[in-house]
Amino acid sequence: MKSPREICPVLRRALFALGFSLLLAAPAAAQQEQVALVKVVAGEAYALRAEQRAELDVGEAIFAKDIVETAEGSVGLTFTDGSRISIGPNSRVQFTEFQFAPAEGKLSFLIEFFRGTMLYVSGVIAKLSPDAVKVKTPVATVAVRGTRFLAEIEGD
Amino acid sequence: MLRHLFSLLLVACLAACAGGNRFVLLEEEDGSVGTIVIANEGGSQVVDEPREATRVGSATSAPSAPEVISQAEIEEVWGATLDASPLKPRTFILNFIVGSNRLTAESQAQLPEILAAIREYPAAEVAVVGHTDRVGSEQRNARLALQRAEAIRDLLIAEGLDADLITVDSHGENNPLIVTEDEVPEPRNRRVEVTVR
Repeated sequence: MKSPREICPVLRRALFALGFSLLLAAPAAAQQEQVALVKVVAGEAYALRAEQRAELDVGEAIFAKDIVETAEGSVGLTFTDGSRISIGPNSRVQFTEFQFAPAEGKLSFLIEFFRGTMLYVSGVIAKLSPDAVKVKTPVATVAVRGTRFLAEIEGD
Repeated sequence: MLRHLFSLLLVACLAACAGGNRFVLLEEEDGSVGTIVIANEGGSQVVDEPREATRVGSATSAPSAPEVISQAEIEEVWGATLDASPLKPRTFILNFIVGSNRLTAESQAQLPEILAAIREYPAAEVAVVGHTDRVGSEQRNARLALQRAEAIRDLLIAEGLDADLITVDSHGENNPLIVTEDEVPEPRNRRVEVTVR
């Protein structure tokens, strides 16, 4: 039989491994396919995901459920269906839902726009299924029919 | 004194809040004009003319009747937002010689143009998507479209395109150029679309 002193490092390693795998499991569970890529950044823009706030550079991936926000800066994203969204200063938007799999009939795009200024330009999802695209704001919901529009929201 | 401060604040707020909540329809880049419908508990409003804006006071008050706003006002409020808009994606349609997996001469000639377009885009990505017409089962068409897309991907890589930039997908028979009934042959729908974005 091993003495407790001998077991201890083994146990510690096991616990460490367990803890480490749990740490890895959290982002892995939340990990999804990339839905957009950052194409334009002026000043500073941030992505909020898994309770982390990361500064965005051109070429960085955006995932479903990400919140993107700015203070002084502005940022432009192109989604995998060709939709484009850009926001100006003091803006906050969340890409709550994004599904683009026409072969399986899965199409949805839910944008929650909380404050600031935004430009939306539709892509393939809106073309194939206009009802699949919704832009929710604190004061109203926007439905699109193949289009390009601006929004300004005061927020809180 | 306090009252003065309060009215000052009120004036400042009114000035700052002059924009309020609003939605403005724009022309698309190809000149066409779509429609947006703004709805809340108070009602709904269709906006279908370029530069028409509707204002919304709160979640329970109906959106206002649309009014055209000036280009100058758009620039003032949304200038930075418009400047941050990414380049419009560009789509190339490639067709095969009927009954083969070889490209038509016109399509083959487009390959260098695709490679050139990629250099214009920051953080460029290339989506290669296969499409079929509606002859045959949906599942078979989904597979067939994927094979076509993979053939084009290999061709683009052979032409010198960085493999890491490419994603391959199949829309099967569900994203036609020309809408048809089921089981109708339509050569124009048998294609691979290469979109640079």
